[in-house]
Amino acid sequence: MKVYFRKNLLFWVTMVVLIFFFILSARGMPTNEWVITLLRGLSVGSVTFLVASGFSLIFGLLDVLNLAHGTLFMIGAYIGWTVYVRPDTFVDLIPLVAFLFSSFLLSGLWIELGKRLPMNRWTRILPWVGILLAAGLLLLVLPRFPVTGWDLQVYSQTPGTYAFMADQGLLVLPAAKSFESSPVLVLGGILMASMLGAFGISLFKRSKVLTAGRLNWRQFAVFIIVLGVGLIIFVANDALTNFLTGINTTWLFLIAILVATLSGVGLGALMESTLIRPLYSRPIYQLMLTLGLSAVGIEVVRAIWGRTEFIMPKPALFSGTGEGCPATSLGAWLQHQCSTFLLFDGRVRVYNEIFIPLVGVLVLVAVWILLKRSRLGMIIRAGVQDRGMVEALGINVRRVFSLVFALGVGLAALGGVLAAPSMGLSNVMGESLFLNALIALAIGGLTSYPGAALGSLLVGLIQQVIIKYGAIGIPIPFTDIIFKPTPPLVPASTVLLMVIVLLILPNGLLGKKE
Amino acid sequence: MDYLLEVQGIHTFIGQYHILQGVDVCVPRKSITAILGRNGAGKTTTLKSILGLTPPTQGRVIFDGREIHGMRSFDIASLGIGFVPENRAIFRDLSVEENLKIAERRKGDYARKQEMIFTLFPDLNRLIALSGNNLSGGQQQMLAIARALVADNRLLLIDEPSEGLAPVLIESLMEAIRKLSAEATIVLVEQNFLVASQLAEFYIIIEEGRSVIDGKMSDLVNDHDAIHRYLGAA
Repeated sequence: MKVYFRKNLLFWVTMVVLIFFFILSARGMPTNEWVITLLRGLSVGSVTFLVASGFSLIFGLLDVLNLAHGTLFMIGAYIGWTVYVRPDTFVDLIPLVAFLFSSFLLSGLWIELGKRLPMNRWTRILPWVGILLAAGLLLLVLPRFPVTGWDLQVYSQTPGTYAFMADQGLLVLPAAKSFESSPVLVLGGILMASMLGAFGISLFKRSKVLTAGRLNWRQFAVFIIVLGVGLIIFVANDALTNFLTGINTTWLFLIAILVATLSGVGLGALMESTLIRPLYSRPIYQLMLTLGLSAVGIEVVRAIWGRTEFIMPKPALFSGTGEGCPATSLGAWLQHQCSTFLLFDGRVRVYNEIFIPLVGVLVLVAVWILLKRSRLGMIIRAGVQDRGMVEALGINVRRVFSLVFALGVGLAALGGVLAAPSMGLSNVMGESLFLNALIALAIGGLTSYPGAALGSLLVGLIQQVIIKYGAIGIPIPFTDIIFKPTPPLVPASTVLLMVIVLLILPNGLLGKKE
Repeated sequence: MDYLLEVQGIHTFIGQYHILQGVDVCVPRKSITAILGRNGAGKTTTLKSILGLTPPTQGRVIFDGREIHGMRSFDIASLGIGFVPENRAIFRDLSVEENLKIAERRKGDYARKQEMIFTLFPDLNRLIALSGNNLSGGQQQMLAIARALVADNRLLLIDEPSEGLAPVLIESLMEAIRKLSAEATIVLVEQNFLVASQLAEFYIIIEEGRSVIDGKMSDLVNDHDAIHRYLGAA
């Protein structure tokens, strides 16, 4: 114990000083205000943590600085919004996505087929032929697959309008579009294109495959299941849309969270296996790639959802305003489902200041248990230190890499959809948050999981304290001047905190000495 | 002769450096073979090339009748090769028990081998809850070897087991390695010729990336000329 404290003396001294400053700053406010400031800090910290922890897991194990993490956070928010506000669009898209990606699940079959082909001058261009054919087919078929969406050109049909109407409870979904050409032909075309594309891509790797490709029955089963789900949803489209629009928005919100997180996981897996994997030995290329991807992601979001900001309505559980609100006890809150809660005579917004921190803590504990108790977590902790040795033990580290990348992106997407109802959606929501997350990681220690949590908490708290003092003002001792921090000082304060912490502890609060 | 491992003329580059320029190693089953040579001769690289950690660009590696060069490291290791690296590579953030458990290749490997491991290294049993970064050098070495024993490995590649250890510890370590050779084939890289000569049955000497001479250890011990030429004064 004594040894532990002597080793970590600087850390504890820094923590005591920081806590002292927060108590000092809390003394300048009445109880209810500092409680709210604390809760807001926790809320911002939780969202920051979701981005930062994923980023640090990926960086720790894979050595990849994923600069697209902020963009993926934003994409998670937009996907969640779509499921939540426009369930009809979401239901329309499921069969399309299922058919497009189903064939990529059959990697064993494509490798096996590829090996049967002779290697000569003509079969060498086959991969390109496959991909070009797939692209051509998609160009032909995709426009014929109707997706009931929104129209960025018509004001009454923009995402912002739909969001506003949903918030007012007046949402009317537009009539579903119908097929102009035979649906069997269109779906068949998409499946065909998917197969051609998957085959073409697997042919590129043909010369590198040494081990025998196995025809994997499990892959076939998954393929059939994915296709089946796609088909069932395609047939039951209207019923499912009606069901989703009919249920309580709290449930719909839960579905949105789930879908956005899983999309993040899928997107991460796709990104790692296609783009990041060839570049593991080239860090500079990785940086350029992820930076580029981040810009591309923002443009794609602009093209689909438009440039204007819009809101995501809060689910029913957190939006009641009528009689009995603000709630004063947990029972009353559950009964009236108020949007606000009275705490020490101050109004606390339940979603922003209680729900988000709760989810943050939940994820913190869940990932902590995953890291500490599961075999996967054991491999991750070992791999952060020495990947080569883990591989020498007979563990397929590459597969763990893909899993961790997918998990990290999933966490970011979860952060996005959680933050959307409180922050609103905009094209730049990812950038500022990503910067926060990076600062939090620098404060906490780049590859330390508890460090990510502590750093995010500190960043969230200091921002909210400064914002609060922007309203109250700080009396400067021995003068009559009252100093009110201006808004630009909010991000500046986090950077200042980072600089101070790094001067004292160059590896961050909980970072490991190299 | 029946060989478990045959390395035939491998060449390995690390970055732009041509480290191995034709190394042959033949390892008979159930024996201890020592790879000897001066510092920087390429002994460690030879072990790493067998495992595919530094993949050879030329030559063949045959393990139990199967060509393994070009395969990924984890596939090679899964065939039954355990590796004890020079720096021991104990996972600092994992407890001693986790360091052993992570080496499981099938569920329950650790439970099965526990008894064997703790009779071989009784000290490890009382360190079981300690974290990897609190171990002494000797304890780390024992753990590194124990880790290679958790899975069913037919071949153990042990790199510099005696490096940096006190003489008393070297003695008990040698005892443990000798006991192990009854169950697995061992390839040993060793700077300390005294240790190597007492343990190994066969030897290979590598000089400047090439294997120059091999044979029975009992012959080498009396060949003062070769010892002087290849290993320096010993």
